[in-house]
Amino acid sequence: MEGLPAQILEIVDLGVVVLDTEFRVCYWNRWMAFHSGIAAEAITGTPIFESYPKLNTPEFLRGARMSLTFGSPAVFPQSLHHYLFPFKVVGTPNGMFDLMQQHCTSAPLREPDGEIGHLLITVQDVTERAISQQRLRELNIRDQLTGAYNRRYLDHRLPDECKRHDRHHRSLSVIMIDIDFFKKVNDQHGHEAGDKVLSQVAGKLMATVRKTDCLVRYGGEEFCCILPETPLENACVLADRFRTSVERLAIAAGSTELRVTISLGVAQLRPEDTHATLLKRADEGLYDAKQSGRNRVIART
Amino acid sequence: MSEAIISEIKLANAAELDLFLSEESQQRIMSADERDTLQEMMNIAFGRAAASLAEVISIFVSLSVPCVQLLKGEKLTVYLEQMVGPGPEISIVEERFYGKMEGSAFLVFPADAGGQLVPLFGDEETLYEGEAREEVERDALLTTGGILIGACVGKLAELLGDQVSYSPAKLVAKTQGKAIPAALCNPDAVAIVLKTDFSFREESVQGFLFLVTSQESIGWLKEALAGFLSQYEG
Repeated sequence: MEGLPAQILEIVDLGVVVLDTEFRVCYWNRWMAFHSGIAAEAITGTPIFESYPKLNTPEFLRGARMSLTFGSPAVFPQSLHHYLFPFKVVGTPNGMFDLMQQHCTSAPLREPDGEIGHLLITVQDVTERAISQQRLRELNIRDQLTGAYNRRYLDHRLPDECKRHDRHHRSLSVIMIDIDFFKKVNDQHGHEAGDKVLSQVAGKLMATVRKTDCLVRYGGEEFCCILPETPLENACVLADRFRTSVERLAIAAGSTELRVTISLGVAQLRPEDTHATLLKRADEGLYDAKQSGRNRVIART
Repeated sequence: MSEAIISEIKLANAAELDLFLSEESQQRIMSADERDTLQEMMNIAFGRAAASLAEVISIFVSLSVPCVQLLKGEKLTVYLEQMVGPGPEISIVEERFYGKMEGSAFLVFPADAGGQLVPLFGDEETLYEGEAREEVERDALLTTGGILIGACVGKLAELLGDQVSYSPAKLVAKTQGKAIPAALCNPDAVAIVLKTDFSFREESVQGFLFLVTSQESIGWLKEALAGFLSQYEG
């Protein structure tokens, strides 16, 4: 490549790669060389998968073949791919992503006779944008005091999960959790102690759940836990683990050490359920647990 | 959004709403034979598109026999609204294409289709980990929309002897009026609407695709159709 276009390609703040139909590198701009640490001379002529074996995925090939076979552009958005090329993040660590988040595209390049001879790939660094979007999302879906998800998040997530589990015929369970005699804590030790109890109990519950589970502060001292891919029996085992771990928890509030217990109701999604009836059944279980003496788990089948 | 419901709405209201050009005006722009040929070419092109999607990238989609209609430019918005009907919420993906044949491709999906298409992009749980649910579902819809439009328009252009390039796919939200580029809404213009229904076999997602090309493309299109027909003559 010569002249102005060549200069531009070397200057732009964008990764530009050209591959031939065998996925051999024909062009690798300065941006790519800088972030990859591989010079253009070293990579040109070699198959791209030799340097980036993990690029050889069905998702990447689908986009690349769209361009090569159908002559249409393809997009590899950050939300679905995170990145195509594993490059280190530029600047100081951000605590969220180790690798540069990328928005990539591919497009066909045609020969003078109209045949598609090459594939153009562009790579845009969208790490900053991904971080601020993630921060905004977190603010929007988390309860500030406890760090658990908030009610608004539950209102979106639970109907989605119910639909998804129903569609794939998988088990979904929920646990409703309430701190016993919480009003007493507030009355006797003050709201500051009450807040401490809430955040420590929530912290304990969040440390107990699996990565795929979702703990929500439902309101006041009430929590709700969504358990994807979980039948009732397993949900009850987890609920009891919640119960014992909170029972053992010593919460320091000023000079005193507080201890609390929780009551729990468990229910599993039935085919005829809506998210509301599922929650209602778990809530009935919780009510029964309260009525029959607290600090216990009751499942509603 | 089944084909039957869509057709019913269309037929019931088309005359009343004065959507389509009179047969006489249609004849002036494109003869019945030409329209039939275009329909047949679309049928071949979309069949090839579906076959290639399955073979090349393992996406299985079925496309119905397409139909071709000539529409008054000013009625395009009304037509779209009639197609979609008052029923469930919908998402519209639009991609413009540029070549000798120019225009816009619109894909109409049920509003929740994005979520159902997410598994095409890998493990659902991993994709949802970052809590970027809305973005993930929007991008799944856009990417799949781009694939479908690229395959269908690409194969049709190929058959017509054209090469097209595209602008990036956009999600045009639920307001149908906004889905249509102002240039195509020119009340004096005539829009050729090519419509097909599609369904993704694995994910049970259905909707319809339609292409709108402007009047400026018609002259070239007629030549291309004549060229296509001449292969079978003599």
